[in-house]
Amino acid sequence: MNVAPPRVLVVEDEPPISRFLRTTLTAQGYHVLEAECGKSALDMITRNPPDVVVLDLGLPDLDGLDVIRKVRDGGSAVPIVVLSSRSDEAGKVEALDLGADDYVTKPFGVDELLARLRAALRHRLQQQGERQVFRSGDLTVDVVRRIVTAHGEEIKLSPREYDLLRLLVTHAGKVLTHKFILRNVWGADTDVQYLRIYIRALRQKIEREPDRPQHIVTETGVGYRLRASD
Amino acid sequence: MQQRRAISLGAYAGSSAFVALALGVGLALQQFLASSNIALAFLAAVLASAVTYGLWPSLFACLVSVLAYNFFFLPPVYSFTIADPENVVALFFFAVVAMIASNLAARVRDQAVAARQRAKTTEDLYQFSRKLASAITLDDLLWATAYQIALMLKVRVVLLLPEGETVAVRAGYPPEDMLDEGDLAAAKWCWDHNRPAGRGADTLPGARRLFLPMRTGRGAVGIIGLDSDRPGPLLSPDQRRLLDALSDQAALAIERVSLAQDVDRARLEAETERLRAALLTSISHDLRTPLASILGSATTLSAYGDGLDATARAELARTIAEEAERLNRFIGNLLDMTRLEAGAIVPQAELVDIGETVGSALERAGAILAGHRVEMELGADLPLVPLDPVLFEQVVFNVLDNAAKYTPAGSTIRIASRRDGDRVALTITDEGPGVPPSNIERIFDKFYRAQGTDRQRAGTGLGLAICRGFMEAMGGDIRATNRTDRSGAIFTLTLPLRAGAATATLSEDVT
Repeated sequence: MNVAPPRVLVVEDEPPISRFLRTTLTAQGYHVLEAECGKSALDMITRNPPDVVVLDLGLPDLDGLDVIRKVRDGGSAVPIVVLSSRSDEAGKVEALDLGADDYVTKPFGVDELLARLRAALRHRLQQQGERQVFRSGDLTVDVVRRIVTAHGEEIKLSPREYDLLRLLVTHAGKVLTHKFILRNVWGADTDVQYLRIYIRALRQKIEREPDRPQHIVTETGVGYRLRASD
Repeated sequence: MQQRRAISLGAYAGSSAFVALALGVGLALQQFLASSNIALAFLAAVLASAVTYGLWPSLFACLVSVLAYNFFFLPPVYSFTIADPENVVALFFFAVVAMIASNLAARVRDQAVAARQRAKTTEDLYQFSRKLASAITLDDLLWATAYQIALMLKVRVVLLLPEGETVAVRAGYPPEDMLDEGDLAAAKWCWDHNRPAGRGADTLPGARRLFLPMRTGRGAVGIIGLDSDRPGPLLSPDQRRLLDALSDQAALAIERVSLAQDVDRARLEAETERLRAALLTSISHDLRTPLASILGSATTLSAYGDGLDATARAELARTIAEEAERLNRFIGNLLDMTRLEAGAIVPQAELVDIGETVGSALERAGAILAGHRVEMELGADLPLVPLDPVLFEQVVFNVLDNAAKYTPAGSTIRIASRRDGDRVALTITDEGPGVPPSNIERIFDKFYRAQGTDRQRAGTGLGLAICRGFMEAMGGDIRATNRTDRSGAIFTLTLPLRAGAATATLSEDVT
């Protein structure tokens, strides 16, 4: 299949970081566009939308959160991966709630960023035609026949457990905030402790070592992520 | 007043009794003695009155004796007239001798009384100085002083010490903590000029109290304020001298305690200075070591990378990545410590599955623990615990990081949890050398590092201090103990289970 390389817009005002991102992403087959401030980033997204955006939250002119808000208000659904600093869980959650797709915490390894970019791009493709069976390691989820198997056995799930897993599968590889999951599975802003109990139950059924989960990963202070094998 | 009159009436009655006794003796002996000798019995009564009751009762006894002697013994008896002129002269001399004798005897008595009083005062002052010497805090000292002055001078007392630009009440007997404006002005003037002010003094005599400076050789250390309901001068000259003695002792004691406080402050400053020095050493060492590895590896790669084989290049790249991670952890610790000390840690408590948080800490510590075996034994029925997941994950991470540092590769780290009444305990047990028992508490101090194991990989000395800070912020606790079955340390993290945080169940769900 010979498709055009995905176009990634890197919005970053620190030259050393944008330099290594340019080098690495180009080597990985991306077409890299660059913006150093929020205004020019918004401009570029409007005029010639990229396939995915890497956005640093600390920009010289606009707050990164404002950039996300303006992009989404402008009707664009372009995936956004945020670069944020450690110990700013609230900022991450806010960015995700505003419509960012994922985040990477600075400092980060490049493999982590590439995985997030792939998940964000894949999710966009999936929405155009979802795959019938999700497979990752020893876990398979057949979303048409509603059959879940883990370590070779079929797993019986309660309806709500299945809904939860189904949501994670739909967004495989992406972080989902507590709020997002609660709203989509329970339909309202229920207390997050229910979610924790269901996650524990789900892990006990699908994980080999529920205390050291390999599939459903906790993003402490933010939410959960279903690991996707690429 | 009432009581004083009663005492003096008693004295006059007593004197009369002495004279009555002398009269009885005289009547009994008049068959055998000349009347001039009977006068000696009355003289004895006068002297007895003088020694027992003092001057005025003895003069009274003198007068009564003269009358009784005249009436009962000088002819014509049973009348106040005297027939023989010789007896008039005798009676006159008797009166003179009695008066002189009573005067002398009364003076001796006054001196004895004064001596007793002085001895009592000296004893009181001695007791007071002992009390002052044993006072440790300034408040104890001031209270003892106020009490002693009030007791010995029968006045109301306040003690004021300088506070910033002005003076403030620090003790009082009976207890008092505010002064009205006039008194405060007088106290301030007294402090500023180091001279008495207020009631009975030259300055601000309208104030309710008299204020006197408490001085030592170095100057004034505080102010005494006195008042009483008695009219007239507040203090007699004697009382004033006594007050000076009390005030001097108190001033010296106050100075002593203040000096001790200064020494404490100096010691604290020295300690702060030591911490700062340790911080700088730590920062320069812990930042530069990984930076040296990173810079060295990176420059090798860029300058000589072509001449290296693939294994060597990968090794250098791995060093850069690992050392950058280490640097990142160190900076994270510095940030956490700074946030803790700035009071910027506000735990966001949520009901959290402890196992989940431990799991994500383990995930983060994966690379550090690559050489260790980790065993988990988390109670499956553990309730959700109210805690801040971000802080708690960091605590668990730091303890694991610490365990990885101080225990040999290949050893086992065991993580277990249990419910302990209304608390939950998470224990992290290792197979390292354990903690030196003498330092078991100090390991949670900032910049403390276990001695003797200060290998190249030793940490920042901040990790466990952050653990304690975070646990306490969440209302929990962290303790270290040593294993008894073999060498190794046990770190126990405890958290309270808030009332009502009962195990949530899956009952709403139907499978």
